[in-house]
Amino acid sequence: MENTFLSDLGIILFTLRVAAESTLLIAPLALALAVALRSLPVKLRTTIEAFVTLPLVLPPTAIGLVLFELFSRRHPVGAALDRMGVEILFTPTAAVIAAAVMSFPLMFRAFRLALDSSNFRLFDIARTLGVSRTGAFFRVIVPLSWPGIVTGLLLAWCRAIGEFGATVLVAGNIPARTQTISMAIYNRVQSGREGETVFLLASVVIVAFTALAATEVLTRGQRRRLAR
Amino acid sequence: MIDLDVTLSLAPFTLQVRQRLDAQVTAIAGSSGAGKTSLLEVIAGLQRGAAGRLAVDDRVLLDSSRGVFLPPEARALGYVPQDVALFPHLTARGNIRFAGRSGSRFDLLCDTLELRELLEQFPGQLSGGEKQRVALARALMTSPRLLLLDEPLSAIDQPLKERILLYLRRIRDELHVPIVYVTHQISEALALSSRALVLSRGQVQAYGPSDSVLHDTAVAGDDACLNVFEVGRPSHDRSIGVTAVFTTEGMPLFVPWDRVQNADFPIVIEISGEEILLFTAQPAALSARNVLTGPILELTTAGGATDLVIGTLTPFRVRLTEASTVDLALTAGQPVWLAIRTRSIRIVG
Repeated sequence: MENTFLSDLGIILFTLRVAAESTLLIAPLALALAVALRSLPVKLRTTIEAFVTLPLVLPPTAIGLVLFELFSRRHPVGAALDRMGVEILFTPTAAVIAAAVMSFPLMFRAFRLALDSSNFRLFDIARTLGVSRTGAFFRVIVPLSWPGIVTGLLLAWCRAIGEFGATVLVAGNIPARTQTISMAIYNRVQSGREGETVFLLASVVIVAFTALAATEVLTRGQRRRLAR
Repeated sequence: MIDLDVTLSLAPFTLQVRQRLDAQVTAIAGSSGAGKTSLLEVIAGLQRGAAGRLAVDDRVLLDSSRGVFLPPEARALGYVPQDVALFPHLTARGNIRFAGRSGSRFDLLCDTLELRELLEQFPGQLSGGEKQRVALARALMTSPRLLLLDEPLSAIDQPLKERILLYLRRIRDELHVPIVYVTHQISEALALSSRALVLSRGQVQAYGPSDSVLHDTAVAGDDACLNVFEVGRPSHDRSIGVTAVFTTEGMPLFVPWDRVQNADFPIVIEISGEEILLFTAQPAALSARNVLTGPILELTTAGGATDLVIGTLTPFRVRLTEASTVDLALTAGQPVWLAIRTRSIRIVG
């Protein structure tokens, strides 16, 4: 029993870590893309938006297959990485990448909405006060978009925790190496050990609730100020 | 000193301004949609499409022929838009200190604009006039070479308007920051500026001394016959309810004591030319306190009304019906007397 508890704890911590790393990996990219798209022509913008939203609508296994092909030695990218001695497939890194790709659209869309509802005139006003574009962005637009940014981060993190289809293809389902909560639950149900999933199930429920509560706490003050 | 030779395509017309602005305070007047705000944005650097040349105190901010376009952050100009655009996530203090770090300037501005009580409030908790003052302080913290104000008095009630005008005059007289401000109210323009630029569909219609330019252009409309003076040196006489004040030229006027007892002189007053009585002989036994005399300097009749300029110590504008002008056989050069009730004198601020 103790062993199960320890291994479950390991699975939970590994899953949370993979989700956190994937979230941190895509956050600057999603923010930069959401900003960059604002100044692009409508057609180009729509095309790029549709492309990065694909993981949201395609079957996760299809995305997993694309990633698998990309990182296999048959593909130039995988071959190049192989020559550099970098191994991706069936490693924790693969789990991070799969989670990142799958959760990117959620984060990007949340950021996009947050920026769209921010008053960019205040960005201009900040610049007339002698503040650089970067300064104005981080001191005015980011705080004004804060509730949306926090929501995007936590949505992506939660999505990454639950990721299964793409991850199982590129990272495998290797116990104590790449196995996440979703895979462990799947394994145990497949082998008729439903009773051993209780702790894992309880942990994801607690994590999800905590994330939602954190969103509320982290954005409450700002939403109140902005609503005035 | 602002050298303007700029063009900017706007949807219905092209803004085209070629003018040197050389006054401490310049009013930009014109009907709505004339391009006034766009011109301020061109100067502030917020209109990327502006072409031509723009220099403030010989510092070139825009010269499209040489590919020069200083971004807003490098222009060192203070800009307060019409909606004041305070940062909603920062307190008044956070807004004011957004760009400027100088503690002494912060203290100076807090005193000049009376902001101490407001510093910990968020913009959503401030009234219109308070927001305006915070926005002025925020713009002034950067020690701008020029302050650009878009309709600073438009959304403010009369008593507050008087206060804000007072603050603006302090900025002009104590901080010595040149001001360019947009207004469509002739009294506001006259209250603060010595020069006015009148725009009409993006073109300069007139530029010159505010008083003459604003009265001579269509922008004035119904306001055309307005007398706006800065007055000071008050001597209050509470027992008879009047206060004697003097215009800059030294002409005495009596104003209601109760309306100016707490004013911070100098103040700006306004008298409609339509409320002034005109006599061709010295009137006697009159209730009106202010009786002034001078020759008719100008006389123009249009649309059934006659506008006169009377050469009192500070010239007065008077509007009569054409019928009165004919009945009195008024001609230029003829001496006349004006009678003004103290209650006809309105305090602008």
